[in-house]
Amino acid sequence: MSELGSTGYDIAVGTYEDALAMVGYSTPARFGEAPVNLAMARYFAAMVQDANAGFWDEEFAQEQWGGCIAPPAMLMTWVIPLEWKPGGALPVPLLTARVPLPGTTFVNASNDTEFFHPVRIGDVLHVTEELLAVSTEKRAALGAGHFVTTLSTFRRQDGVTVARMTNVLFRFDPDAV
Amino acid sequence: MIDGVDYDQRLFEDVAPGDELPRVDDLITYRRVIMNPATTWDYFPGHHDPEYALAQGQPTIYVNTMHFLGFIDRCVTGWAGPRSFLVRRKVSTLRSVYAGDTMVGTGRVVGTRREEQDGRVRFLVDLELEVGNQHGDRCATAAVTVALPSREDGNRSASSS
Repeated sequence: MSELGSTGYDIAVGTYEDALAMVGYSTPARFGEAPVNLAMARYFAAMVQDANAGFWDEEFAQEQWGGCIAPPAMLMTWVIPLEWKPGGALPVPLLTARVPLPGTTFVNASNDTEFFHPVRIGDVLHVTEELLAVSTEKRAALGAGHFVTTLSTFRRQDGVTVARMTNVLFRFDPDAV
Repeated sequence: MIDGVDYDQRLFEDVAPGDELPRVDDLITYRRVIMNPATTWDYFPGHHDPEYALAQGQPTIYVNTMHFLGFIDRCVTGWAGPRSFLVRRKVSTLRSVYAGDTMVGTGRVVGTRREEQDGRVRFLVDLELEVGNQHGDRCATAAVTVALPSREDGNRSASSS
């Protein structure tokens, strides 16, 4: 565990040069732990309070989309690893948390997602992630740190790309509170 | 038809630049923030551990990125209708939304265009949205493109497939 183990969230620690050396790295495909499913989709829709008929009305959704769809905002959820599995293998976090940098914590800065097909209930998604860029040190409201840009390509069971997502995360040291 | 579910659909021809999306106000209780990790599997501690949020320099736990995205999608398809297809959504988060805050969604149409893709025309609407809070702070901005059904296209599905 890193020094952040006590927070319950483990992120890679290193220098800016370590992070730069990782730019261009692409992960192998990571498969979702479970197929896209109605229980999780509706629980999320209930959290956001979204009455979109595509999530709630199977008859409507069948005619419109070929079946109920998942909220597009859940894209990342479908590839987040389980916290524990039989056999004891540790989960591998998303790439953005594996970039070695000095910052002890992070907040998300931006997210740009293009969708090519709806994500339907029953789809099994996998993702490949690429580290596109790590910025020089910048100051922001919460502290000083680096912006980490990753590109995630989401494909479904038939190999078709359903979405492409560019995310920027701010990895920083909080100013003294 | 299910009571309370949105079925009203806006067509491409009914939309013009300058059209305003209806404002959405949503009180984000502590419980709703705790639903973030439960519904998204995102257990980053800033979304469920107030002590961790304090150490980050934030007053308490705050909603995650997927909640922002979901709220923006709700504002968009709540206005456009459930036969709209979300093509692109570009969001910058400027400030956290904390437990106890009210998320305020506003937006407007900035453009309409026809785009040919694989020999088929798509009817696209470009929107700009803002997510604010009860203090009038800007918490996120979004540029969104949705495909709408069109009368020109026989009111067909807006999906790419």
